[in-house]
Amino acid sequence: MPIKVDYAARETASNLKRNFTITLASILTVFVSLFLVGFSLLFRQGVEKTTERWRGGIEFIVFLSPTANPDQIDAVRTALDSPEIEKVTFVDQNAAYDEFRELFKSQPDLLQSVTPDILPPSFRVVPRDKDARTVEDLSAQFRGKPGVKEVVSATETIKLVQKITNWATWAITGVALVLLGVAVLLILNTIRMAMYARRREIEVMKLVGATNSFIRVPFMLEGLIQGAAGAALAVGGLVVSIPFAERSLPSATEFPLFSGIIPATGDRMVTYVLIVIVGCLVGAAGAGAAVSRFLDV
Amino acid sequence: MIKLEEVTKIYKGDVVALRNATIEVNKGEFVFLVGTSGSGKSTLLRLLNKEEQPTKGRIFVAGKDIGELSSWKVPFLRRNIGCVFQDFKLLTNKTVAENVAFALEVIGRPRPVIKAQVPAILDLVGLGTKSENFPHELSGGEQQRVSIARAFVNRPLILLADEPTGNLDPSTSVGIMRLLDRINKTGTTVLMATHDRSIVDTMRRRVIELDHGELIRDQARGVYE
Repeated sequence: MPIKVDYAARETASNLKRNFTITLASILTVFVSLFLVGFSLLFRQGVEKTTERWRGGIEFIVFLSPTANPDQIDAVRTALDSPEIEKVTFVDQNAAYDEFRELFKSQPDLLQSVTPDILPPSFRVVPRDKDARTVEDLSAQFRGKPGVKEVVSATETIKLVQKITNWATWAITGVALVLLGVAVLLILNTIRMAMYARRREIEVMKLVGATNSFIRVPFMLEGLIQGAAGAALAVGGLVVSIPFAERSLPSATEFPLFSGIIPATGDRMVTYVLIVIVGCLVGAAGAGAAVSRFLDV
Repeated sequence: MIKLEEVTKIYKGDVVALRNATIEVNKGEFVFLVGTSGSGKSTLLRLLNKEEQPTKGRIFVAGKDIGELSSWKVPFLRRNIGCVFQDFKLLTNKTVAENVAFALEVIGRPRPVIKAQVPAILDLVGLGTKSENFPHELSGGEQQRVSIARAFVNRPLILLADEPTGNLDPSTSVGIMRLLDRINKTGTTVLMATHDRSIVDTMRRRVIELDHGELIRDQARGVYE
């Protein structure tokens, strides 16, 4: 039997109106939790992007001059092949360009002015001993070698940022998960109340032979709308707050670490779509639980 | 039309509502179910539209074993069975016409069909002029007519009535019985549980008497006792 669209729409609307305050509570809970989820996802993306080259235990990077000849590069490579060093990765100019493009995705004019041949190739070095002094001594050996432009070691700041980010992401995700659970329960209760308010109608519907799906659709829609509305608010909140975050960050010249922390538009869209999907799932989960538990034939 | 084969219904705590009942009702029959409260009349009616499942035995409605009906088909069984209750079960926030239209709307009947059938059925039950009134503006007898209209508007094969005159005075009851008789004459099989001695004695239809879940009498053109 085809579900009548106008009937379902009307019933859903009147359910939402009838329980306005508790509906609002569910929507706001979904909103807050998804805003937090979105925020921590975007923040994590940003930090991962800016600290990309420092991941996997890399303690220092030997940047070669873009004009270094193969003999000079080989000499550095041989020098790095020592028992004190655990792993070395060579990043050539093309790979460096790819990395650069990823990092400055949101600044197209900067990308235009850069070509692979002006970027330095580099060796990413993972030493066996991670002690700061040892790393410093080790990296100093490469300063001033022919073909070496500069040697940069992972600063304490970068390590701290990585640590805090990890910790904060987990904390925010934890809080957001609890809130999402609360949202599911709130939606479940809202719909249970809506069903209680309509129990006589539901009884008559069953008696005259309305199908289960016909009886359930308005309630399922109600849950879905609550979840989706909360998600929409969360996306709206993130869209509005990103420019503020961007402005309040130190400029790239002051503090280069933050230059790429705002994720590119494409990455942001993925996060937004994810948020909307999660919102709908939360709504459907709450409604589905209510409908299957309290609406037997 | 309806066939029960050795049907037993036991509720939780070994409460026997129906024991080994075998009943056959033909198309177009009018049957009174009599017996004291708790004798199993309502259980019998609830078994027929699958609101309850029998503990044992088989039930056939319109030739189909309803025990083998999958749960998604139950609504379609119920579309062939109209139900009328002592307490009417009308929706208080809907008018008379809306109450009847609701029954058609929720089974997906198209709007033109609803528009045509609702006034016709309200005329049939004698409420053509009260279609825009709300249930609380009607007398008990009129409310029961609305509920009969709602049960019959879909032209079911069977009409189950559970003490439809239980809340009504004798003269109003006579009117309701005339209406049920008229519906029966259109070919609808009617099963009516009742405590109303004078109605049963006047109508002289088939009487099935239950006592503590046992079928103790099945009499054509019977009386209350």
